[in-house]
Amino acid sequence: MAHSNWAEWIYLGVVTALLIYVGAEAWNIERIIDHAPEDAEIIKVTAQQWFWSFEHEDGTKEVGELHLKKDHAYKFEIQSKDVVHNFNIPEYVVLLDAIPGRINTVWFSPNEAGEFDIQCREYCGLIHYNMRAKLFVEDI
Amino acid sequence: MSKIFHLSIIMMTLFIIPTVSLAFAAETAGEYIDRKAEIWNLFFRMMTVAFVVGGVIAGTMVWQVWRFRESNPNSKPTEYEEKGEF
Amino acid sequence: MVLELGKARPVWQIMFSTHHTDVGLLYLVFSLLALFVGGAMAIALRVELFAPGVQLIEDSMTYNRLFTAHGTTMIFLFLLPSATAVGNYLVPIMVRYKDMAYPKLNAIAFWMIPPAAVLVWLGMADFGWYANPPYSVISAPAPAAEMWIFGLKMLGVSSILSSINFVVTIMKCKHPDLSLGKISLLSWSFLSSSIIVLAAMPTFAAALLMLLTDRLGASGFFNPAMGGDPIAYSHLFWFTFHPEVYVLVIPAIGMMYEIIPRFSRRPIFSHYSGVAAFIILAIVSFASWAHHMFATGMSFTEKTVFMVGTLAAVPASAMHVFNFLATMWNGRIKFATPMMWAVGGIALFFAAGAGGVVNTAMPLDFITHDSYWVVGHFHLFVFGTIAFGTIGFVYYLFPYITGRMYNEKLGVVHFILAFVGACITFFTQHILGLFGMPRRVYDYPEIDEWVSMNALISVGAMIILVGMVIFLGNLIYSSAKGKPANLEDPFGLGGKYYYPFAQRNPHHGKGGY
Repeated sequence: MAHSNWAEWIYLGVVTALLIYVGAEAWNIERIIDHAPEDAEIIKVTAQQWFWSFEHEDGTKEVGELHLKKDHAYKFEIQSKDVVHNFNIPEYVVLLDAIPGRINTVWFSPNEAGEFDIQCREYCGLIHYNMRAKLFVEDI
Repeated sequence: MSKIFHLSIIMMTLFIIPTVSLAFAAETAGEYIDRKAEIWNLFFRMMTVAFVVGGVIAGTMVWQVWRFRESNPNSKPTEYEEKGEF
Repeated sequence: MVLELGKARPVWQIMFSTHHTDVGLLYLVFSLLALFVGGAMAIALRVELFAPGVQLIEDSMTYNRLFTAHGTTMIFLFLLPSATAVGNYLVPIMVRYKDMAYPKLNAIAFWMIPPAAVLVWLGMADFGWYANPPYSVISAPAPAAEMWIFGLKMLGVSSILSSINFVVTIMKCKHPDLSLGKISLLSWSFLSSSIIVLAAMPTFAAALLMLLTDRLGASGFFNPAMGGDPIAYSHLFWFTFHPEVYVLVIPAIGMMYEIIPRFSRRPIFSHYSGVAAFIILAIVSFASWAHHMFATGMSFTEKTVFMVGTLAAVPASAMHVFNFLATMWNGRIKFATPMMWAVGGIALFFAAGAGGVVNTAMPLDFITHDSYWVVGHFHLFVFGTIAFGTIGFVYYLFPYITGRMYNEKLGVVHFILAFVGACITFFTQHILGLFGMPRRVYDYPEIDEWVSMNALISVGAMIILVGMVIFLGNLIYSSAKGKPANLEDPFGLGGKYYYPFAQRNPHHGKGGY
C-alpha cells in the first residue's frame, strides 16, 4: 500500500504551475482590454426580438446595420427591450449580453475597414438563428 | 541539446515575447489596444500549452496501451496475479 | 443476475420490487431507453444542420423544441439515471450491506422518473435546458414550459431522494469492519456525487418554483417589467448546475476505477489519492458556477474570483488521470470492450478539461461563449467521458446482470465507431465555434467554413449513430441468446474479485443470484 508518490507530487506541481500561468495571463489580458478610452464614442445598442438597432451620439439611428469609422474607439451601451440577447461581432471579438433592465458596456476600436457580421449569441426564441446585422467600417 | 532548444522556443513564445512586447508596445500607430489581437494571441498561447500537455499525456497513454497490452510478446504477469487479488 | 431472459421472471415482479438489483435494472433499462430517444433527437438536429436551408425540420420552433428535449433527456433521463443504476446495483454489495438503506424510497425515487419523462416529452418546451428568463417567463409558449418545469421538479426530487439513500447506505449501513477510507472508489464516487446533489439541488428547486410563479404572473423574481432580475436566475441555476456537472462525471470516473485496475491486473496506483480527489472535487465544484455567466456583464473582480475557482478544480481531475495512467503502468492489460471504453474515456476527458480551461480564461470566453466551441466542449465531457465510462460499464456489468456474454467483436466495432465519430463530431465543433457559429440555431448563413464543418460534424454524428445501433442490437440479442458467461471470471482476467458479485435476489429462489 505504501509506495513512493513523488511522481504524483511533481506532476501536481507542474499542473498547478501551468494553471497559475493560465490564470495570470488571462487576468492580465482582461485587465488590458477592460479600460475604455475617454474619447470613445458611445453607441447605444438595443436588442429586441429579433433585430438590432443602434443610436449614435449625435442621435443618428440605424436598424440592422451599423456604420463606424476605422481606428476610432467606440463604446457600446447594450440594452434589451424584452428577453436576454447577446451582442456579438465575432470578427472583433466583441461579445456581451443584452439584458432587459440593465445596460452592459464594452468598447473596441475597429482597425480594418470592411463589412462584418453582427449576430445574437443567446437563445431568444423563434428567429434567434437569424437575428443578424451588418457592421460597416469605413476608412476615413 | 535539442531538448534545450525546444524548451527555449516554447518559453520564448509563451513568456518572454509577449511580456516584452507588452512592456515596450508604445501604442502609437493604432492608438488603441487591438482587442482581437490580444485575445487571439492569448488563445494561441493557451493552445500551445494545451497541446504540449495533451501530447505528453496522450503520448504516454498510447505508449502504455501498446507496451502493456497482454498480447505484447514482452508482457509478463503482474506480481498481483500470483496473489490472485486485484 | 436479475435479467435472465432464458428463464424470464414476470415483469411485474421486477416493477414492484424494492430490491436494489431490481431497482438498478429498472434505472438501467430506462436510462438506455432515454439514451436512444435523446440520440434520435440529436440525429434529427444534425440532419437539419447538415447544410444551410431546410433539410428535415420545416420550422425553427420544432428545432428549438428538439434541442431542448435532447439536452433535457440526455442529462436528466440518461446520465443521472444510468449513474444511479450502477450505484443501486453495486453500492450495497460494495459496502457489504443487504440492500440500500431505504429500499421503498429507492423504488419511489425511480418511479418518479417515467412520469417526469412523459411530461418533458409531451410538453416539448423550447427554451433549452437552461430555461433562462425573461424568455422562459414572458415568451416561451405554454403549456410546454409548465410541463417542463413540473417534470424537472419531479426529477430533482427523485435525485435528492436517491442521494439521501446513497449517503445513508454508505456512511451508516456499511459493514462494521469496513472503514470509510477503505470502501471502493466506486462507492466513494457515489458518496461524493450524492453529497453534491444534496447541497446543490435545492437551489434549482427554488429557482424552478420561482420561474413557475413568475410565469403565472404571481411574482416578478426574474422579470424586469415587475422589478425582477434575470441574472438572479442565472446565479441560482448555475449554482446548482455547475456542481451538477461534477455529479455527472464523478460516477463515471468511479466506474473507470472499477474497470481499469481490474483489466490491468493491478490494484489502483493510489486508493487514497482517488479518495482525496473525490473529496476535493466535491468541495471545489461549488466555487466556479459563475464562469457560465462571464458574458452577462460581471465586474472584473467577480470574473477573476470564478476563474480561480474553476482552475482550482483542475488538479483534482488531474489526480484521477494520473491514477489511471499509473495503474496501467506495468500492468498486463486485457483490452476487452469495457477497458477500451474506459481508456478512450480518459483520453477524451483530458481534451474536454483542456477546452474548459480555455473557456475559463476570462478574455477567451469572448471568443467561445455560446458558440459551438462550448457545444463541442461539453459533449466531449458528457459523451466522450461520461457516456464512454457508462457504456463501458454496461458492457462490464452485462454478464452479471444477464448471465450471458455480449458479442465482443461487435463491442469493439461499437467502440471504434463511437470514438472516431466523437472525435470528428466534437473536435470539429470546437473549431466551428472559433469561427463564430452560435449555438441553439436552427439554420446558419452560407459562410464557407461553417458549411463544410457542419457537414463534417453531421457525418461524425452518423458514425456514432451506426455504433449505437450496433450496441442496441448487441444488447438485445445477447441478453436472450448470448453465450452463457462464466460468472466467476467472465472476462478471463484471473484472480478473484474482492467483493462478491453474487448477490442474493430474494425473488430468484435458492441458487439464483
